[in-house]
Amino acid sequence: MASAHVTKRAKYKTTIKDPGTPGTLRMTFEKILFVPHNPKSAGKLDVEFRYIKGQKHTKEGSNKPPWLNLTNNQNGSFIFEFENYSDLQECRDFVGKVLAKGGEVSEKPTVAYPDEQLSAAEMELRIKLLQEDSELQKLHKQFVLSGVLTETEFWATRKKLLDREASKKTKQRLGFKSAMISDIKPSTDGRTNKVTFNLTPEVILQIFAEKPAVHRAFLSYVPNKVPGALKQFFSSSSWPVNNDPIMSERTFWTKYFRAEYLHSTKNSIAAAAEAAEDEELAVFLKQDDILASEARNKIRRVDPTLDMEADEGDDYTHLPDHGIFREGNKEMTESQNELYKRSLSQDINRHAAVVLEGRAVVFLFENIHVSLDCICSMNLNVDVELEDTKAVAEALAQSKQKSSNKGESDGDTSRERLDRLSRMTEIEDLQGPNTLPLAPLCIKDPRDYFDSQQANALRTSGDALGGIEQIKCGLSTQEVYGSLRESISSIKAMGLKEPIFKPEVAHQVFDALTNSISNTKYHIGKNPQESVLDRLPRKTKEELLHHWTAILELLKHFWASYPITTTYLYAKVNRLKDAMSNIYPQLEEIKGSVPSELRHQVSLLVRPMHQALDAAIQHYEASMQKRSAQSGERPNGYV
Amino acid sequence: MKFQIEDVTVYFPYDHIYPEQYSYMTELKRTLDAKGHCLLEMPSGTGKTIALLSLITSYSLSKPQSPMKLIYCTRTVHEMEKTLAELKILHNYQIKHLGPQARILAIGLSSRKNLCVNPTVVAAENRDSVDAGCRKLTASWVRALAAENPDETTCEFFENYEKAASAAVLPPGVYTLQELRAFGKEKGWCPYFLARHMVQFANVVVYSYQYLLDPKVAGIISKEMQKESVVVFDEAHNIDNVCIEALSVSVRRQTLEGATRNLSRISQEIDRFKATDASLLRAEYNRLVEGLALRGNLPITDNWLSNPALPDDILKEAVPGNIRRAEHFLHVLRRLVQYLSSRLDTENVEKESPVGFVASLSNAGIHQKTLKFCYDRLHSLMLTLEITDTDEFLHIQTICDFATLVGTYGRGFSIIIEPFDERMPHIPDPVLQLSCHDASLAIKPVFDRFQSVVITSGTLSPIDLYPRLLNFHPVVSRSFTMSLTRDCICPMVLTRGSDQLPVSTKFDMRSDPGVVRNYGKLLLEMVSVVPDGIVCFFVSYSYMDGIINTWNDSGILKEIMQHKLVFIETQDVVETTLALDNYRRACDCGRGAVFFSVARGKVAEGIDFDRHYGRLVIMIGVPFQYTLSKILLARLEYLRDTFQIKEGDFLTFDALRQAAQCVGRVIRSKADYGMMIFADKRYSRHDKRSKLPNWILSHLQDANLNLSTDMALHIAREFLKKMAQPYDKTGSSDKKTLLSQEELEKLGDGSMHEMSY
Repeated sequence: MASAHVTKRAKYKTTIKDPGTPGTLRMTFEKILFVPHNPKSAGKLDVEFRYIKGQKHTKEGSNKPPWLNLTNNQNGSFIFEFENYSDLQECRDFVGKVLAKGGEVSEKPTVAYPDEQLSAAEMELRIKLLQEDSELQKLHKQFVLSGVLTETEFWATRKKLLDREASKKTKQRLGFKSAMISDIKPSTDGRTNKVTFNLTPEVILQIFAEKPAVHRAFLSYVPNKVPGALKQFFSSSSWPVNNDPIMSERTFWTKYFRAEYLHSTKNSIAAAAEAAEDEELAVFLKQDDILASEARNKIRRVDPTLDMEADEGDDYTHLPDHGIFREGNKEMTESQNELYKRSLSQDINRHAAVVLEGRAVVFLFENIHVSLDCICSMNLNVDVELEDTKAVAEALAQSKQKSSNKGESDGDTSRERLDRLSRMTEIEDLQGPNTLPLAPLCIKDPRDYFDSQQANALRTSGDALGGIEQIKCGLSTQEVYGSLRESISSIKAMGLKEPIFKPEVAHQVFDALTNSISNTKYHIGKNPQESVLDRLPRKTKEELLHHWTAILELLKHFWASYPITTTYLYAKVNRLKDAMSNIYPQLEEIKGSVPSELRHQVSLLVRPMHQALDAAIQHYEASMQKRSAQSGERPNGYV
Repeated sequence: MKFQIEDVTVYFPYDHIYPEQYSYMTELKRTLDAKGHCLLEMPSGTGKTIALLSLITSYSLSKPQSPMKLIYCTRTVHEMEKTLAELKILHNYQIKHLGPQARILAIGLSSRKNLCVNPTVVAAENRDSVDAGCRKLTASWVRALAAENPDETTCEFFENYEKAASAAVLPPGVYTLQELRAFGKEKGWCPYFLARHMVQFANVVVYSYQYLLDPKVAGIISKEMQKESVVVFDEAHNIDNVCIEALSVSVRRQTLEGATRNLSRISQEIDRFKATDASLLRAEYNRLVEGLALRGNLPITDNWLSNPALPDDILKEAVPGNIRRAEHFLHVLRRLVQYLSSRLDTENVEKESPVGFVASLSNAGIHQKTLKFCYDRLHSLMLTLEITDTDEFLHIQTICDFATLVGTYGRGFSIIIEPFDERMPHIPDPVLQLSCHDASLAIKPVFDRFQSVVITSGTLSPIDLYPRLLNFHPVVSRSFTMSLTRDCICPMVLTRGSDQLPVSTKFDMRSDPGVVRNYGKLLLEMVSVVPDGIVCFFVSYSYMDGIINTWNDSGILKEIMQHKLVFIETQDVVETTLALDNYRRACDCGRGAVFFSVARGKVAEGIDFDRHYGRLVIMIGVPFQYTLSKILLARLEYLRDTFQIKEGDFLTFDALRQAAQCVGRVIRSKADYGMMIFADKRYSRHDKRSKLPNWILSHLQDANLNLSTDMALHIAREFLKKMAQPYDKTGSSDKKTLLSQEELEKLGDGSMHEMSY
């Protein structure tokens, strides 16, 4: 191989218009490193080659200076201006070589980091995470882009975040909204009698899911290109598809809302009258026959310990007209209009059932990528995006088909019914523990939990006032030791009791812990009344918080690097240490920038940061000395 | 575990036992020893069922020379399934310890609707159609016809069962309905008739109350049960209502119209038979002359519902001459229908005693004795006419039921004719009701026939009232309290809403928007605090519908839905069952849900809301009966005259037992926990509250007697936090609430009893 690296003088430009930072560009097989001449300037760059997708360069003879534009896979680019075209040439060839080698080149570091090779999905996930969390993004920008940490190092400490995000994607999907669809309230313009309903695909999906008859009507009335397979499905599932009366989607929804309006007036006679006149309207007004048949199927699978339908089948006392009428047993419906009556309770039950089982449907829904701005209206001022609603309707039909296929194989339902039965009959504390399948609790950020507890802690602090103070009684070492011995001897004598701790004590400790843990966060700045931070100017506060997280990030990496076993870690520690020592002046700067009356507060806040940094640097120096003492030949060049 | 109660070795399938269960068994054993009846109240959540089953099966195992049958009555089919599942656990345990000698046969018995495996028959909508569908395939004349003509369809399951004849037996074991069906399917035998047949040989039979209490059903199913049986009525707090309902009939316009149709159909049939096969009618006539109402032994498939009157009261004499001929009988029925129809044309509410009614009927030419025989005569006629679609003839059957009852009973009944429902006076809906007031009538044959009858429930307070209502003399009558390891139930009485104004469902307050809002706010606050399942009981369907609609309009419902899914009990059983199933799923998956239900409804009667299925029950209002109901007033009058029970006392007792029943379903074991909120200011009054069962009262602290929403919320928070702590399941050393085998043996009998008192 000709050369393992290229080093040229160049200017680094973030944009084309940027005058550029003069410095040295060094390219190896792994990465591109740009070090500005002026160490204080911000243009330092450390990019691994695997992020580079391609290159562009200006042609010799054109009136442009010799520029090399390296595009990375995040759609960013690095532009370098060289002193002459021959430098550019050399670099261009080198980059071309490296890019051609592609994967092979980056094999080397994989030894240390097996996960170096990132899939596009993983990359996407990282980007998504960064976009979602501005704090994270700031840190990433500050450390990774400036080269203090490599991309891998940065994410290595956030593996959990990545994992959970990934798992969430497959396991936890968005469900239906808790709100009922009847809550869609029309908007009026106040001048005319027109009302406008805004229908998003989500709402439509929900309507279809809750009212299969409307769904069927949509598919059969509204002109569309239902694929043959779907048609077949409908005919097989005893949904008669009626292709004759074709109406536009707008008329369809207009009729639908007309029917809903009739329902809401609770005037079943009027509903019956209108239904008699309009055949399509009647479809919406009638009881949902698909639901009824579905219910008959489902009833066979319910938990036998609550199967009240079976009771009715066994009830000979309440033959028609036998027994005593009890309040509510008498139904006062005029039988002919009963067809058009639908109670709120039915709607609520149906809604809740759909929300409960909504998952399978939503999964498909997500895959369609429907645009959420589809608006359907009762009057004629907004266009209807036909494709999207159709897609929703069809997706729902497909998912139904799937689930109905699933329903066919109900051989194991009786097994499941028996299991549920036995679970309901056992008495739990007379028997050994019975483990139910539990989904693990997923708390994205434990701090969120403690924050939410803070509210409770504050609320209950009224009655437990002073309780915390009493706990904070100081104990001497002897006392602690004594009490420990005592409890050990008592355990020896009596064996472990169940529970080991008294519940009250555990409760108290837990409360106090929650309180103190959540407090720290609070004092850094969430509680508007109590935080010192809020008295600071907004900018200062943000800076402080940012520094704090930055320091934490650095320290985390710093301490994680010990003991230093490889040269890689050694280099990393050095980088970190440099970055940390850079923070000192910045902190001082903040202190200087605040008004004098707040300076004390700020220095109080800054002190723990200083202390943490001091400790790290002290440790660093001590270990350096040790190292140089061990291997005398290495110069002690770092102070 | 295995332990001794006096001379009986009791096999109990769990490793631990509650002290209450032990003393419950002890009392039960004494009852069995004394061969008498007993009344036992033990709080729900203390494992009554398993204690009962354990003791009775162990008792009968210990006395192999005199095998004892257990007839276990539940109110509902799902309770039946649960009981059988518990029995199965017990049975497996006994077999493990005793080997094959512990084998018993235990079956559940239900209607064809729940047991039939013939897909064409069971597909029918309701019970009556399934019964008729079965009869169409299995009636003796249909089968006789099919033997000659192979085109006639019969039920292959029944034919196979018949072919197997005496070989068709169930091997010992415990069979739930589902397993019975599975067994039947596998063997190709009809599970319904197999079960009916096996009832005679089974050691344990589990079925519903009516199979013993309702003469119509008991007459065909429970005829052959031996005297040496122990009858258990579980969850028996409503037994008096079941008894009076079993003997009550009502006649409405539709009934009469239907009956008229039935009669013309019968007359056509008679004409047809006269033309083609007059010999059958003649044979019937001859039989009736000989004094047999029915042909001796009917094939099992021809059985229809039995005589509505109690067996002792059915006349064992010849059918009167004037209704022996089919046409004559038809005339009598026509006249009866006409008479009833004229009585329905009244403007005013009328109340009459059966004696007076019969007297006025005599004027119309129908005598008491004729009335008495109506049912049997109809039954005989329909068999003679070989009518299989019995579900079409329910109306005329109702009329005959009515006639037989009114002709048989002179006291304890009254006839009430109402031209319309008082709540809707503008809609004419006349109804003539024969209502029974005396609960002891229906249950008397049971007490007389069987050696021991056990009546047990979680709420039998006041326990001295039941012997009076049912007119029997228990040898043991005990109410057990519950020894709790920790205060795992938290009853509260909420009298004021969040605005500190009183809340109540009293008639003058219930529609007050402030009260409705306060109830909504209460629920809203609670759903945001209480995890998993919450159940909310209302006093009636109409009230529930009204309040939910108001909440929906005011947006409270929407806010509730932000926290939990909402499910509602409706009058449609299928829908309610599905809603409950979904409710449980929502609780299982952690989503949490609220269930709106109605006191005295089907859900309140038998569905458990234990563990996470119910962490809080809110009883909105006091579930009084509809006090203006004429039937209720007549019953109250009867109770006052016969038992000197004051009207007010009975109403309060009845309302509070319903309330207690609703809230009592949250606890399943001592490890479970739950809160109960009685949300009505009337609960704070001592005369109402004191009617609650003791085990609830003892946990109702004085401080929780008069709460407003905010205070209740605070208590709920504290309670839930406390319950989340670990605790010692066996209780502290001086007050054991859970016993292992060694502890039980060590303690011995004497000290055991002291503990549980």
